[in-house]
Amino acid sequence: MQRKDLLCPTSGNKSRANHIAAFGHQRAKQRDRISFRYPNLHSSIMADAIESKIKNYRTAPFDSRFPNTNQTRNCFQNYLDFHRCNKALSEKDQDTSPCDWYQRVYKSICPSVWVNNWDEGIEGGSFAGRV
Amino acid sequence: MSMLALVRKQLKSHPALIPLFIFIGGGAAMSMLYLGRLALKNPDVSWDRKNNPEPWNKMTPDHQYKLFTVNMDYSKLEKNRPDF
Repeated sequence: MQRKDLLCPTSGNKSRANHIAAFGHQRAKQRDRISFRYPNLHSSIMADAIESKIKNYRTAPFDSRFPNTNQTRNCFQNYLDFHRCNKALSEKDQDTSPCDWYQRVYKSICPSVWVNNWDEGIEGGSFAGRV
Repeated sequence: MSMLALVRKQLKSHPALIPLFIFIGGGAAMSMLYLGRLALKNPDVSWDRKNNPEPWNKMTPDHQYKLFTVNMDYSKLEKNRPDF
């Protein structure tokens, strides 16, 4: 997954590239210092940002990967991402609450029949997707 | 005579058929170009399932695949999903 900083929204690709080019080396050193002293800082900053986004959640946002009317892929991808996120963060012993974003999105988009079938599949080991 | 020479001979006596060839040929070329774009650039298509299983996950949040979008400004989109 691409690791883009959630707290620095881009205002356009060109300005971000110049910004990074100008201050990239300083940011890299700063990141190394911070990540050495506070190994969980990035994840806790991200968790706070995501927590506020989850609290203000209205509905699933536009996803540029799925721009057309058929959103089945969107539903399935968020379901997969929820389970993958849980697995990845619990393997790293981090808090899995950011993964609730994916759960909110798939509960908004997916038909509940599908979700129930997939949940049964995951419990029974017959789920076809890669989680 | 080969096919092309035969057609050329016939076109000389019926020159009004030349625009027909132009338009039909252009239409066929555009169809093939669009199929080629679909095959090679569509993020839903995965040619190599082992090394590139989910190419749609490699798009940036402001990548626009559609040719024309009416109401959506892709340059203003940001990544809004948590990393893991």
